Amino acid sequence: MNKAVACLLIRLYPRKWRDRYELEFEALLEDERGGLWAMVNVAWSALYERVSPAQGGMMDQNSQTFRMIVKQPSAFLPLAMSVGALAVLFVAAVYSFAHSGHGLVREADEGAAAHLWQILMAGQLPVLAVFVFKWLPRAPRQTLYILAVQAGAILAAMAPVYFLNL
Amino acid sequence: MSSTRHVVQDENDPKLGHYSDPPLLVLSSLSSGPKHGHAMIEDIEQMCGTHLGPGTLYGAIARLEALGLIEPLPQEERRQPYRLTEQGVHVLRARLATLDRFVAAGMGRLEAL
Repeated sequence: MNKAVACLLIRLYPRKWRDRYELEFEALLEDERGGLWAMVNVAWSALYERVSPAQGGMMDQNSQTFRMIVKQPSAFLPLAMSVGALAVLFVAAVYSFAHSGHGLVREADEGAAAHLWQILMAGQLPVLAVFVFKWLPRAPRQTLYILAVQAGAILAAMAPVYFLNL
Repeated sequence: MSSTRHVVQDENDPKLGHYSDPPLLVLSSLSSGPKHGHAMIEDIEQMCGTHLGPGTLYGAIARLEALGLIEPLPQEERRQPYRLTEQGVHVLRARLATLDRFVAAGMGRLEAL
């Protein structure tokens, strides 16, 4: 089934149902050979779900969805890039200490480590934008959790630069 | 979701004998091991000739999960496999035993005709 049609049909389901099943159901619809019968079946099932919703069980638990989203490249790449930027600072500090006897200091020539840090920090912005654009409308709560973690990682990577005045 | 029951027009209808109780079909499919949605649809079609629609399938999955008869396993890419719980096995066994008695009684009556 066409992805756009699948997304449109899934929107017919109640929000609570979508929070739990949207991602896996979308994958199933994309796998299905589909046709008009499948579309009618999904639309009818969505209507039935609104009239007589499945209750209890895992409907209130979003852990699966959260785990699923955090595995997406657009979710973990910014985190990895922030951690990488922090690691670059750490390695540069160790290297500087080993060769000159002092840690990181501000220099006119920023050097390779500074450029690498800048690339990692700036490079994650478009990935973050893709992540927000793609996942915020689908699973707002889980996306906000992941964004908070990403923001924490960005702050952690920026903190040494700010506090050491690099 | 009530069912995808087909109305049989005559005895040559290829759908004759198709069984359609989506929750029971899902439980039966999972009795041979964990499966994701698409695999369940294919397995059920092979098992009894009924092609469950995706909406019907997930209507059954949501209810079976809510009842604690099936449970999700860790996701495989975007696909979500499910498996029977212990309670699910118990319920499936009871349902099949009832059906077995029903079939035996029905066949006995047919033979008496």
